[in-house]
Amino acid sequence: MLINILQDGFFAAIAAIGFASISNPPRKAYAYCALIAAVGHSIRFILMNNPVMHVHIIIASTVAAFFIGLLAVWLAPHAKCPAETCFFPALLPMIPGMYAYRTIGALLLCLAHQDEAPFLHYLHLLAYNGFTCVFIILGMVVGAMIPIFIFKKISFQATR
Amino acid sequence: MVDNNYQPTAKEACLFLSEYAAWLLGCGATCIRIEKNVQRMSEAWNVVSEMMIMPSYVQITVRNDEKECDDFHSYSVVKKTYRCGISFNINTRLSKLSWDIADGKCGFDDARTRLDEITHTAPTNRWVVLLLASLANMSFCRLFNGDAVSMLIVFIATLMGYRLKQILLSKKCDVRVTFFCSAFVSSVIGAGGYIFGWGATPDIAIGTSVLYLVPGIPYINSVSDMIDGHYICAFGRFIDAALLTAALSTGLCGGMLVMGLKWL
Repeated sequence: MLINILQDGFFAAIAAIGFASISNPPRKAYAYCALIAAVGHSIRFILMNNPVMHVHIIIASTVAAFFIGLLAVWLAPHAKCPAETCFFPALLPMIPGMYAYRTIGALLLCLAHQDEAPFLHYLHLLAYNGFTCVFIILGMVVGAMIPIFIFKKISFQATR
Repeated sequence: MVDNNYQPTAKEACLFLSEYAAWLLGCGATCIRIEKNVQRMSEAWNVVSEMMIMPSYVQITVRNDEKECDDFHSYSVVKKTYRCGISFNINTRLSKLSWDIADGKCGFDDARTRLDEITHTAPTNRWVVLLLASLANMSFCRLFNGDAVSMLIVFIATLMGYRLKQILLSKKCDVRVTFFCSAFVSSVIGAGGYIFGWGATPDIAIGTSVLYLVPGIPYINSVSDMIDGHYICAFGRFIDAALLTAALSTGLCGGMLVMGLKWL
């Protein structure tokens, strides 16, 4: 279990660094992104894959994002970067990309079927993937924003 | 000797602030940050500024503080956003500039030179980004429980797809067409696992092979603007991201169709 958690954190860190690099972060922010992403993703992994209780992906993402926000507020003044420079890339490994493109895929298949049964099946897939995707992103950002707003002073003065 | 105490007129301040805000919006900053940074600088220069942020334009009106000066002026500029692509580096340095101005460490002329310098910041080396993005998508495959063979397939699929994205974007190709083409190429390569029976998790390989294209930052920015009450901007960013997602899904769909695979 512990190895799985560490592995999850490790690969989330690599994913965060790579996806962050697409949006040109300042060089010193990479290490912080990786650390924050690793902690955040492992928290979500633990919440979703523990023997005690299985937490739904939306709630798990929100809680993990909350911790990402806390860490970002704490680390941003050290990195001398705005808080979002640290935590937006750290949230990227949790973006529900598969749900997002499955939604569009289901939409295309909906259009391709006239019969009621397959149409309803793909409509179900469309709604299921779409709702899950939207609410994961919503939960993630709300979760991460709560610490930013609580500690407004710190988070907007990081580059001072 | 640079005069750090020079107070710009409303017109000078407005031209500078509109340029500043247009860059900040273009590099993917959230509305709350743009507002706060602009506010901070206008306070330092003793001017009052109000701004309106639209998805691809900023409008900003600056007037001098009526109580403190006799000749009242107001000046207004509408500025189109610079489409420089998301850059947290520019975002960070522009935020730093606003604090330096607010703390009196940077005079007006100095600020103009620095703004010009910052906007010419070189993006991250494209080969480094190509490698890092491929490694990232490979780790993503692992996070979805893909095996080593699938990880390798995803790495190569991302390498090819991302390089194509870079080439097309440098040739000023439309970004949605680019996303469609990249997703198509990545998914065709990602389908290799199915076609040749490589690895135990070919479904994960093809599923994750296009994930590097999902526009995560615009989605996050959109929700963050929504929380802040900038609904038009939030909607604009959401539509931007949704269109890109649609383009990449269509590309993926097309790739699977060509390779004769069942979708979903």
